[in-house]
Amino acid sequence: MNFLRALLQRRRTESEMDAELRFHIEAFAGDLIKQGIPEEEAHRRARLEFGAIESHKEDCRESLGLRLFDELRCDTRYALRMMRQNPGFTAVAVISLALGIGANTAIFTFAKEVLLTTMAVPHSDRLRVLTWAPGPKSNFTGHSWGDFGPVLAAPFPYLLYLDMRRQNDVLDDLVAFKDLYQMTATVDGQAESVDGILVSGNFYPSIAPQLIAGRAITPADDFLSATPVTVISDEYWAHRFGRSAGALGKTVNLNRVPVTIVGVNAPEFKGPKAGGTPQFFLPVSLQQQILADPRGSMLARNDFCWLMMMGRLKPGVTDQQANSSLDRTFRNAIHTTIPELKDADIPRFSLIAGSRGLDRRTRVFSKPIYLLLALAGLVLLIACANLANLLLARSSTRQREMSLRLAMGASRSRVMRQVLTEAMMLAIFGGAAGLLLGYWGKNLIPSLFDDSWHPSGLDSQMDWRVFAFAFVATLITGLLFGVAPAWRCTRADVNSGLQETGRMTATRPKAFLGKALVVFQVSLSLLLLIGAGLFLRTLINLRSTAIGFNPEHILLFDLHPSRAAYPASQRAPLYRQIELKMAALPGVESATLSSETLIANGHGRDCFSPTDNLALLVDGGSPWDISVGPGFFATMGIPIVNGRSFTSRDNQHAPKVAILNQRLAKEFFPNTNPIGRTIISCDAGSTPVEIVGVSADAKYDNLRNPVPPTLYLPYLQDSDAGGMTFELKTSASNASIITEIREAVRSIDKDLPILEVRTQTQQIEATLTNERVFATLTTGFGVLALILASIGIYGIMAYTVSRRTNEIGIRMALGARSTAVLAMVLRETLLLALIGIAAGLAASAALTRLAASLLYNLKPTDPLTFFAAALLLTIVALASGFTPARRAASVDPMQALRHE
Amino acid sequence: MAKPLDLLQGTLDMLILKAVSLGPLHGYGILLRIQQISKDRLEIQQGSLYPALYRLERHGWIESVWGESDNNRKAKYYNLTPKGKRQLQLEAQNWNRMTDVIGAILSTEDL
Repeated sequence: MNFLRALLQRRRTESEMDAELRFHIEAFAGDLIKQGIPEEEAHRRARLEFGAIESHKEDCRESLGLRLFDELRCDTRYALRMMRQNPGFTAVAVISLALGIGANTAIFTFAKEVLLTTMAVPHSDRLRVLTWAPGPKSNFTGHSWGDFGPVLAAPFPYLLYLDMRRQNDVLDDLVAFKDLYQMTATVDGQAESVDGILVSGNFYPSIAPQLIAGRAITPADDFLSATPVTVISDEYWAHRFGRSAGALGKTVNLNRVPVTIVGVNAPEFKGPKAGGTPQFFLPVSLQQQILADPRGSMLARNDFCWLMMMGRLKPGVTDQQANSSLDRTFRNAIHTTIPELKDADIPRFSLIAGSRGLDRRTRVFSKPIYLLLALAGLVLLIACANLANLLLARSSTRQREMSLRLAMGASRSRVMRQVLTEAMMLAIFGGAAGLLLGYWGKNLIPSLFDDSWHPSGLDSQMDWRVFAFAFVATLITGLLFGVAPAWRCTRADVNSGLQETGRMTATRPKAFLGKALVVFQVSLSLLLLIGAGLFLRTLINLRSTAIGFNPEHILLFDLHPSRAAYPASQRAPLYRQIELKMAALPGVESATLSSETLIANGHGRDCFSPTDNLALLVDGGSPWDISVGPGFFATMGIPIVNGRSFTSRDNQHAPKVAILNQRLAKEFFPNTNPIGRTIISCDAGSTPVEIVGVSADAKYDNLRNPVPPTLYLPYLQDSDAGGMTFELKTSASNASIITEIREAVRSIDKDLPILEVRTQTQQIEATLTNERVFATLTTGFGVLALILASIGIYGIMAYTVSRRTNEIGIRMALGARSTAVLAMVLRETLLLALIGIAAGLAASAALTRLAASLLYNLKPTDPLTFFAAALLLTIVALASGFTPARRAASVDPMQALRHE
Repeated sequence: MAKPLDLLQGTLDMLILKAVSLGPLHGYGILLRIQQISKDRLEIQQGSLYPALYRLERHGWIESVWGESDNNRKAKYYNLTPKGKRQLQLEAQNWNRMTDVIGAILSTEDL
């Protein structure tokens, strides 16, 4: 009979055990009867010789390994009864734990998604991304095309890729891909903006993502002569085709190129770029058709860097081997494909981790996530301290019970286990409730990262790792707050515990642990409050920072006409036509456009210098530039302080003109009037540009950075304008205007989708995402900590007062006034709070430095924030101490003395 | 008759294994056999036999089946398993070595 069977068939085990022992006694009695002993006497003697049946049974159960289980069941039942008996205590404990564990679960769910989830393909741990960096002396930077902003991995030219792939012997295969943003997909006559990704023909066979319908892209599809095909994402399949099988074989126009849908990716596979959600996967061979480049096909050019490369290490190949082998391959391939490149200019090659694909998200989010995890951990710690305190106070009142148990022969470890079981039961209830809270709140945190006009694409899914996390957090929590009371119980002195008839005075050493816990709690709460204060002030500082233009009532939208439909020469005229149409819309006061959106973390830069001082370079080389419409300064409310603004006559036929902001004017033309002077681009063969005006300084890329030296150029003189953001100053409600905008653009080109409709204020808010998330969550955590701290202070003070009823009664009988008693209790509360606050201030001063880079216009030890947080905590502490203090002050001396 | 000896700590297991090695027995039968072989020179607490039996069974050294006793009553019979047989040999060897050593020490006269 094994342990499991004994456990699962408990009743049968028991009856068999009973039958076996009974058989023994009866057989023995039978033998005694045979020896001539009278029947009754024989049975009596048999039972006597056998010994205490129940005790032997208990030993048998222990032999079966059931005893621990039995005791646990007993303890659990007892713990449940205790919980039912003190519903108030149980509710406070479970709720505070649920909030603590819930906050941690929600943040962990999000963290797991961003930091732990890998690409949904086999052996993602062996995936590597290839990259290069310019050598110390090299000046090869390649002509590149791709995202600006933080570079993750450098792209490679197509010919280099082909050559490296041929030579590769350390990766399963070398695959290439390139993300495409904002293509126009026309399905059944309806145009919408979609994202796509070009993948090499060997991408699907080698990386091996799952498909749920149709077939993958094959190497045979990756030829210029092949019929254009695409694999769509599951999300697009559901949203556009309702998962109908009829989508397969359907033809979609992508930037006017007809492509046939041949397959659908599995929902888990979102492409080789973490956080990206491309809807269309296309063979690389379609590059020139879908994104016509005026300089010719990128597939044929030897030094145009645009493709990302990745591959899966062959089993058993180390990173070092792969790195050195690919480095060799890379140098050879450069020699073959770019023979004109000198050896010294060859960049340095390297491999980076690729289990999440090309991963920018982790870098962007990891700092906020670690900070949030730390903060949530603090909240849980405070909840633990709180519970430990409450349990300690309770364990003192249960000293008699514990002494009784010890006196009856229970071992100390047995009593300790029972108290720990009670703590664990509370923890498990709290953990379960917390998991539930975390489940409800799992989308709360990703949604904090959303921009107000479109979701962040972050998505939290609960899985076994979240459950494991919540479970471990629960166990640790239970141990943390259960150990102190358990230890305390076993220290009970049996004798005095039984003698004391409840007249236990809270002698100093006894209350010390509880008070220390409250001090600890207060100091952690102060840390969280100060954090909340710093992030709130940062947000307020950023929102009230002078930006140099007026963002009110400005509606924004983007246009990205494809180059196939609108070659360079036709772009400015298209924009001009739309600009005029927008300005004529009812409810629109003025309309303009710019090559960059203000306060959107983006910028353009080009090399320019004053014609008469070619050596002058500003801000590390070049001013920031932006192409704008004639009405830009008026619409955005940026004053022209000198000269004139642009007009519609500043077009491609007129002399080139520019406007500088004050900072650039000061740097280019110190102490002289820049109007009428000229600047010139560093590009060969360019003509001088005349300065016609100076504008007031206005912020460009974000609120934190100071105003950069900015150069404004008329878009009408831009020979090859890219995508544009339109800015409309409105007086009517946005909803009606948006419909009119759509109608107006559709009347010009029905294949031209308008993108990212939002207001300028929403746009500015979107750059404050991290700050907003921090301010929201730290404030939430701060309030939570404050509530927990006030429960803790109330608990310990109420406990001390009730223990000291007798002493207070004596004091009052001896003539102490009730106000004096009130003051005495409040003084004690204040002392606890102040010690906690002092510790908290010291800890904060040391720790807030870590968040210094996240603050704005604020020292990490901002005195106002520190003072306000300390004051708030003091007030809350006194308020929580007030009820126990009043109870102490209203003690009736006669009753207090008689009551014991 | 001399007062029966109390069982040495840890020897009960070995005696049980020895008793069942001669054929299947129920608990009471094991007790009788030990007493019979030892000619009543050993005192065994009757009830303490069962926790030992359960422990041995949990180790897999003996196994049990329900069967009929001599007087047609249901009783639980214990059998030695191959694993138990090896264990018995091992314990017997250890016991013999131990008694040799202890005996040698005690019989030494010139200390």
